Amino acid sequence: MKEKLTREEVLHVADLARIDVTEEEIEKYQVELKQLLNDIEKVNDVEGYDDDMMVAPWDDNTTLREDVPGEMLDPKKVVENAPKHTGNYIAVPVVITENESEGA
Amino acid sequence: MRYLDKSIEEINKLLKDKKIKPIDLVNEAFDSIEKNSDLNAYITLNKEEAIKRAKELEDKEVDNLLFGLPIAVKDNMVTEGLRTTAASAILKDFVPIYDATVVEKIKEANMIIVGKTNMDEFAMGSSSRTSYFGAPKNPWNNEKISGGSSGGSATTVASGDVPFALGSDTGGSIRQPSSYCGLVGMKPTYGTVSRWGLIAFASSLDQIGPMTKNVLNNALLLNVISGHDSKDLTSSKKEKEDYTRLIGKDISGMKVAVPNYFMSDIVSKEVKEKIEETLEILKKNKVQVDYVDMKYLDNAVNLYQIIAMGEASSNLARFDGIRYGSSIEDASSIYEMYTKTRAKYFGEEVKRRIMVGSYLLSGENAKIYYNKALSIRDDIKKEFDRLFSDYDFVIGPTTVTTAYNLDDPMDDPSKSFMDDVLVIPVNMAGLPGLNIPVGLSKEKMPIGMHIIGNRFEEAKMYQLAAFLEKEINFEGGK
Repeated sequence: MKEKLTREEVLHVADLARIDVTEEEIEKYQVELKQLLNDIEKVNDVEGYDDDMMVAPWDDNTTLREDVPGEMLDPKKVVENAPKHTGNYIAVPVVITENESEGA
Repeated sequence: MRYLDKSIEEINKLLKDKKIKPIDLVNEAFDSIEKNSDLNAYITLNKEEAIKRAKELEDKEVDNLLFGLPIAVKDNMVTEGLRTTAASAILKDFVPIYDATVVEKIKEANMIIVGKTNMDEFAMGSSSRTSYFGAPKNPWNNEKISGGSSGGSATTVASGDVPFALGSDTGGSIRQPSSYCGLVGMKPTYGTVSRWGLIAFASSLDQIGPMTKNVLNNALLLNVISGHDSKDLTSSKKEKEDYTRLIGKDISGMKVAVPNYFMSDIVSKEVKEKIEETLEILKKNKVQVDYVDMKYLDNAVNLYQIIAMGEASSNLARFDGIRYGSSIEDASSIYEMYTKTRAKYFGEEVKRRIMVGSYLLSGENAKIYYNKALSIRDDIKKEFDRLFSDYDFVIGPTTVTTAYNLDDPMDDPSKSFMDDVLVIPVNMAGLPGLNIPVGLSKEKMPIGMHIIGNRFEEAKMYQLAAFLEKEINFEGGK
């Protein structure tokens, strides 16, 4: 089993996880993430189990509640919890850049 | 003697007879919390509000055994108007706008919240050392960890600040710190306690439960926090029950299975000997104890890594710097805001787990790892079902050693998972598990026994635990 992920592999998982990584961190994660993945690889040695899957340990109560309007949180309080807001709206940075909008 | 050191019935009588007031209990709790502040059990104290609440209760009828009693709440359960951080920098200034269902319930029982306890960041860890606010210390020996992730809850109950704390347990986070600090800690059957308002780590494993110094208090607190909640899809619709009802009843004729793996070489000699001694007590009292083989126990940690990290990567996607929590200034795009906010404010353990989890759920990996883990998980449950068709309990030690040193290295990413090797299988199968202290090591550190019950058999577990509590007469926390 190899002991390190490649740089590209680390950058790929960091992108999936939406976590920015520095050069130093890339080197650290190449080793640390690989160690965890090597642990996990061990499930491939397990034998003898059947194909039934247990998604979660509940089996008798997965009913949705009645679709009736209930109490709502106060929108003013909700937006006040956001780092930036304008009136009843949460403010965010630019979502679509000029290039992307032209490309689309 | 402090009032808080008396039994729950004695305190209740004093309150009923108007010989003491809730404020006396609150003052005692804060005196102790302030005296023990170097143990770092709390992230946020709720002193002003607690005093106000205690005064309000003076005009109310003492309507239940837990009335007016101080309680600590792990800082991953949201409390309206009271900062809730999950021990993360990303929530360091977060003040929730509603209460978790468990918080509503303890307030309805007229208990008084004294503060929010320290923990591993987002409950990820086994020593509470991943907390952004520094680790809590073990009251038995301040050089040692109190365990994790509910380390602050364990510290404050063991040091005698408060008689009650709430913890949460995804892979042992109630039972393991309870074992390290000499407490009774119950992880109830999945679905018994509502998860509404619990900051999710791994939704199919998380469960809230009580941490106390004795069995009766533990069962009483479970009485308060259990019950169906329509806000939690996975909340059980089972009727409410009295978890104290079997305490004190005869245990003879009960049958206990001890999986050989739980007593194998992974467990230290000292812990094993104490558990063997305790099993002898059971045998003398006409409990049948059989050593049995059980498959897949040695795979549980790897399954947990896959399932817990996978679910965590999804659950923690909500921390994006937009709707609540910390956020970086001046992001030039939404992508940069996500990636830089998460890089800056998540700790190392959390980042590692989110990255591995994202990888495990991406593309074909979901089939290779995640689905396979779910299949083996189902077989672990079937193995437990097989044992429970013949036995009342499955028993072993809660931890492989006693609490280790706070300054032990943290450079091994696998270590925090291996600390929980004996308690993780219970979360996999959704079963209830309880730690009961059974003695001290040579170093005078607590050793705990792990009692696993069949689904919804908490009352019977308390029956056995109460018997051991009486027989062993474990000296309480320091």
